[in-house]
Amino acid sequence: MTLPINNGNEGGPPGIGVSIPRADAYMKVSGREKYASDYYGEDLVWCGVKRAGVPHVVIGEIHTRAASETPGVLAVLTHSDVRGTNRQGVLQKDQPVLADDKARHCGDAVALVIAEDRHSLNKALDLVSFDYELLPGVFDAEEALEEGAPILHENHPQGNLLLSGEYRTGAGASAMAECDVVVEGSFRTPRQEHAYLETEAGWAQVQDDGRLFIVCSTQTPFRDRSEVAEALGLDLHDVRIKAPYPGGAFGGKDGVTVQTLLGLAALNSGGRPVRMQWDREESFLAGTKRHPARLYYRLGAKRDGTLHCLDVHMVLDTGPYDHLGGVVLALGLEHAGGAYRVPHVNLKGKCVYTNNPVGGAFRGFGVPQVTAAIEQMIDMTAEKLQMDPLETRLRNAVRRGDKNSIGKTLVNSTGLRECLKALGEHPLWKSRAEWKAGAGAFKRRGAGVAALTHASGYGPVVPDVANAKVELTREGKFLIYSGVVDMGQGNATTNLQIAGSILCQPTDGMELVLPDTDRTLPSGSASASRCTYTFGNALIGAAENLKTRILQRAADLLMARSRDEIVLIPGGVRHLVSGKDLPLSVIAGFMDEAERISVHHFKAPTAPENFDAGPGIRMHGFPHTLFSYAAHLALVEVDELTGEITVCRYVAISDCGTVVNPQIYEQQIQGAVAQGIGFALCEDLVSTQGLILTQDFAGYVIPTAADVPEIDSVPVEIFEPSGPFGLKGVGEIAMNGPLPAISNAVADACGVRIFEYPMTPERVLAAIRDACKRISE
Amino acid sequence: MRKFAYLVPKTLDQAVSLHQSHGNRAMYVAGGTDVMVKVKSGKITPDYLISLKHALGSPQLRVNSDTGELHIGSLVTHRTLETSSTIKRHYPILHDAVQHIGSVQIRNVATIGGNLVNAVPSADGAIPLIALDAVAKVYAGTGERTVDLIHFFEGPGQTVLAPGEILTEIVVPKQPAPSAGAYQKYGRREAMELPLIGVGVQLSLEQGSNRCTKARIALGVAAPTPMRSLAAEHYLVGKEITEETLGEAGKLAADESRVRDSVRGLAWYRREMVEVFVKRMGMKCLERIKEMGA
Ligand SMILES: Cc1cc2nc3c(=O)[nH]c(=O)nc-3n(C[C@H](O)[C@H](O)[C@H](O)COP(=O)(O)OP(=O)(O)OC[C@H]3O[C@@H](n4cnc5c(N)ncnc54)[C@H](O)[C@@H]3O)c2cc1C
Repeated sequence: MTLPINNGNEGGPPGIGVSIPRADAYMKVSGREKYASDYYGEDLVWCGVKRAGVPHVVIGEIHTRAASETPGVLAVLTHSDVRGTNRQGVLQKDQPVLADDKARHCGDAVALVIAEDRHSLNKALDLVSFDYELLPGVFDAEEALEEGAPILHENHPQGNLLLSGEYRTGAGASAMAECDVVVEGSFRTPRQEHAYLETEAGWAQVQDDGRLFIVCSTQTPFRDRSEVAEALGLDLHDVRIKAPYPGGAFGGKDGVTVQTLLGLAALNSGGRPVRMQWDREESFLAGTKRHPARLYYRLGAKRDGTLHCLDVHMVLDTGPYDHLGGVVLALGLEHAGGAYRVPHVNLKGKCVYTNNPVGGAFRGFGVPQVTAAIEQMIDMTAEKLQMDPLETRLRNAVRRGDKNSIGKTLVNSTGLRECLKALGEHPLWKSRAEWKAGAGAFKRRGAGVAALTHASGYGPVVPDVANAKVELTREGKFLIYSGVVDMGQGNATTNLQIAGSILCQPTDGMELVLPDTDRTLPSGSASASRCTYTFGNALIGAAENLKTRILQRAADLLMARSRDEIVLIPGGVRHLVSGKDLPLSVIAGFMDEAERISVHHFKAPTAPENFDAGPGIRMHGFPHTLFSYAAHLALVEVDELTGEITVCRYVAISDCGTVVNPQIYEQQIQGAVAQGIGFALCEDLVSTQGLILTQDFAGYVIPTAADVPEIDSVPVEIFEPSGPFGLKGVGEIAMNGPLPAISNAVADACGVRIFEYPMTPERVLAAIRDACKRISE
Repeated sequence: MRKFAYLVPKTLDQAVSLHQSHGNRAMYVAGGTDVMVKVKSGKITPDYLISLKHALGSPQLRVNSDTGELHIGSLVTHRTLETSSTIKRHYPILHDAVQHIGSVQIRNVATIGGNLVNAVPSADGAIPLIALDAVAKVYAGTGERTVDLIHFFEGPGQTVLAPGEILTEIVVPKQPAPSAGAYQKYGRREAMELPLIGVGVQLSLEQGSNRCTKARIALGVAAPTPMRSLAAEHYLVGKEITEETLGEAGKLAADESRVRDSVRGLAWYRREMVEVFVKRMGMKCLERIKEMGA
């Protein structure tokens, strides 16, 4: 299959800034792409997990006999069969692979069953039981901090407090007294489920050489390898993780899901391959979620709209394990004041253990929560000052060289003002008054904006590095080794585009090697809006390097005066002086293996500032130095009698640097806006007493294509000198906009503001009723 | 998933006798969109699935020109109803309902008969057919019987069908002219959604006026079975149809509904939506009658 190249240069190298078709598109739509859940193999066995089903208990004896005696069952394993630490987690290793002392949420894994087929597996899982002593649970993050609350981790020195941060600039909250207006708001954001098409899945086998080979749906193959080895007591080099394209991940596969369990099963299956696939209910139960947040805000401004003082207190519910909760908190704190200059700031945040579902990474990573708050506080301030909300934002928006709300000097490209100005010029903004006037009976229309910022990378301590590898094979073909997973966002194609444009090869003349700990080099996680920024920079280095070697060798072979006389052409080189061409296969024959493989290391720049926001907060990534920006506009219609919100139109104007591939860029914006609309309007993983009530897609509602409006994505292309071809991260930022933009639009439409999300019709209608009551009283 | 045998009898009698011989280990299947979901989840564990595809013959959707009755074979799919110009023109209430069931893929295989026999309180096919006074034809092996659809449902998942009985077709009587209906499936999104509440209104007016001669107000998810609000219907008959009278009918229907709290929606909200949508659907009926006259 040859891919058509849509770059106005048929058969030639891809340009930068053009929409070349995605390298994965044809294989995916024709059903031929091999996902982790497509691995089978001879003699395959299945494994599955007995989940606790109770939120907080001391585990007694685990009864496995009836299950082991079920026909077709190979083994029933418990924590005593785990030879390593039996602990996993990214920072705090506080999550057991198989629960030993306690179960801390309903989704905890208690036993692992291996069986010939899924039918026997399910039968056996039903037969596993365990004795337990019920413990009181804690299901509210603020209650978990109270004296006498049940403690989840007895060994954790701070009780249920996983991590806290405190940070002050200027005079802190005391500067509130100097403000002409002060607004207050408290906000509650929901627990959001990733809801990827492909649930957690994988395949594993102990190979003939004794090494454990795991193929899984993951964003983090290299980190998984370390976690699996440590938890199961293996040597790092005896574990290989291969990461095919995941069928969606959004942060839910940033860390171990099936990996250690699969590894354990493979070590106990007599060498047979094992497969594990969570069904949707299990994915809901055991997978990570976006941290529910409580946000208490006070914002003070001068009469002219200049922001002066911000006071924030936030509490995140991280569930029973750290996963990435501390890092989510740190990023939330960093973005709590948005992209504004505020001289006096007081930030406090806590990330708290509860017996609820596990909180973890999710596109946006703490920023959608705080943006929901700050972007509504700005509108509330503007309203009080009777100022235009866009004008208020422009007045305070950061520029390059400014200090942002945590006092970080913005040294990189900073295009928020350009985004806001472009929004002000957008026809939908300019014509909003007429549009609003056109509302039908019992309908109210409103327009709402939100200004956004999103950091990229890991912050000051954890090195944000990538190692790219490019190979010219003996046969004269280029192999591009992708170090970072493409979970659907398209970075694998962008890698081809970058390498192809440097090596002058059409994308179908090169081959991608997807992340694999045995073949590609460690390049960090597919997360943090870093994939193309960090890996792309490394890839440019590797490709340039290889190009120089090829040109030099060709110059020698063609008796050119210097390699400047040689250029790469598709499939070969050309000597510009003699007009002679040589195929790459010939040149490859004159290079040894070491020369044909080029690697390049890149480390993303970090902030030189050293802010003291409390022990551990810097380690968790505070502060960053590179930010993307955006301005969003939502036009909504509210049904006054049903409370239903319809998002009619949406505009997302983004500064994510240069656009390398417009189609992929737009897909990132569209997808994130859709996910953000779900977060704003309908997505809520409801649980009471630790039990999930919305157990499947009949109860947990995500928007369908029919619910997502036409989205106008407008890039404001500002060249970022540190980025590959001038780009910055685009994967997450648009997730932050819809909630505040829609809520601001609802307030504009009917004068009521919703503080608890999602904005279900019930909540909207109740708020409209309350407002009517207040007016009539 | 548990294994089962798939049987395809050629005639209704064969189907009935197969069902009788396997008793409660057997189950009929039409499109399978309810049955297979339950089998896969282990909620039901039939050993035999008896397909009605051949026994019921090719699905029929026709109007008897002598009686004016609409005959809908039980195997007729929602997609067939959705794309039928007769349904769209003369039974808009049914068109409103079927076009929002699941997705096109579901509607291509899911049948109206399966929707009725499955008998959930939210069955989108049931509400408009009740509003149209439809009658269910049932084949019992010993002969045929008819049941008014409003009396067909006994509880969640329960109908008057005795084990082995087959729903063969649904007959909709000729509606007095001029009349029109409208259905609102009110849910949280545009597709692939079960309604929070379903409201069907079918009104007949006096020739040349807005005086109501007949009213049907049928509700889904408002009680353990699909229901009618007799109080609202009685109230409307003989009255001018206006925003006010429809508003009042809405209140009566809301009072009569027996809505409950669930994760998907709260009772107070559902009750209010009954009120809102009875009125809105009533107004839509008026509009549609006007359009037909024009
Ligand atoms: C993704 C999805 C979305 C859905 N969305 C909706 C929706 O929006 N609205 C809605 O109302 N429903 C919805 N459904 C439910 C379902 O599609 C409908 O109820 C459908 O009409 C059932 O028809 P079927 O032919 O598939 O029935 P089947 O599953 O074949 O049968 C359903 C039941 O009826 C019995 N049965 C079927 N035909 C006969 C007969 N002729 N005589 C006697 N018994 C019979 C079967 O034994 C079984 O008990 C949805 C289902 C899915 C999977």
